[in-house]
Amino acid sequence: MSNEEAEFTEFFQASWEPCLRVVAAVVGSPQLAEDQVAEAFAKAWMSWRKVSHHPAPRAWVVRTALNTGASWWRRRSRELPLADHDVAAPGDLANGLDVSLLTAIWRLPRRQREVIALRIFLDLDTDTIARQMKIEAGTVRMHLSRGVAALRHELTSNETTEASR
Amino acid sequence: MNVHDEMSDADVLRAAADALSAIPMPRAPDTAVIITTGRARRHRQVTGLSIAGTAAVTVVALFMSGVFGAISRQPAGSGSRQPSHPAHAQLTAWTVTRLADGDISIRINQFKDPAGLQSTLRADGVPASVTFASQRNQACRPYPGGTLSPGSGPPSPLRPSALLKQVFPTPYQVLGAPPGTGPARMAKAAGAPAPPPSGNRTVIVIDPSALPRNAGVELASSDAAASALLLPVVVYAGAQCTG
Repeated sequence: MSNEEAEFTEFFQASWEPCLRVVAAVVGSPQLAEDQVAEAFAKAWMSWRKVSHHPAPRAWVVRTALNTGASWWRRRSRELPLADHDVAAPGDLANGLDVSLLTAIWRLPRRQREVIALRIFLDLDTDTIARQMKIEAGTVRMHLSRGVAALRHELTSNETTEASR
Repeated sequence: MNVHDEMSDADVLRAAADALSAIPMPRAPDTAVIITTGRARRHRQVTGLSIAGTAAVTVVALFMSGVFGAISRQPAGSGSRQPSHPAHAQLTAWTVTRLADGDISIRINQFKDPAGLQSTLRADGVPASVTFASQRNQACRPYPGGTLSPGSGPPSPLRPSALLKQVFPTPYQVLGAPPGTGPARMAKAAGAPAPPPSGNRTVIVIDPSALPRNAGVELASSDAAASALLLPVVVYAGAQCTG
């Protein structure tokens, strides 16, 4: 194995899950996310010399995966729309998950979900998220603030409901 | 202070992280598969070749247990040979099997060597045109009722005709079923970065006896780099189209 391969392998093994979790949080389906992230890692290897020097290579993978997914989805919806067949719904999830909170997360606008997932799983700061999403830092803060407020509302509603029982 | 104020942003994000982290995630594929896929793509970029083996082909597929217990036939054509690169060495690109009831089952792991697949189908008595979508045989004309037709209402799903369902019991009979019934699902064929589990290979079943006398089948896969669709349709048979 070359040094380049060893370096990529180390990156891949350490980054697969966090990148997958971000993409899954955004697209709402671990299975769709798996395809897109695998595709993105293959592209990362294709451009490894560039990606390895990227200031946030995991964010590069996530962005590539989401772009891949978008184009794939557009193509699919144009050629063979099959609503309901492959998008996971919260009700499909196994017991033991916080379905109400997950539902609240997936009800957030996509940008808010993406910002929150990047913050949670890749621990990116506002400026890095802004660069990756090609939006202003102030817009990132706004998405984060609104998303967190919506989730807080969900969480506190649940607490209130449980407390009143 | 009310309960709303007691949760800081960090608390909310932590709760969201806990909820999202509890979702089981697919395990990482073997790094060698990722590297091999990337390498193949880089090679195609350099050589200017269009998609072949390692592009992901996403199609409508049905996994039917027991389908493959039928009479098996050795497929001809290079598409059925072992791919040369090691990560996919355990998989054949595609397999054509004649089932006990006379149907032809095509199991696709990688959409490569469409000409070989076409030859194999023709050898099995199925007038067929198999191409990448970008290289579709212009001589092929759709047979009446041989293509999906738009449905009504948003999102307007395409509807398979009775002919499509008869000629392609898989996937179109399943597609025609109401959502949530039967094992219909979108499945990813191999050629994707990781070899898929056995239940996720693309399976298309053709019932040659359902073909009108002057009709054949056309399979065209998009040659997009990321993922593609494979749409089975019924076309007029003819020397220029289906051989």
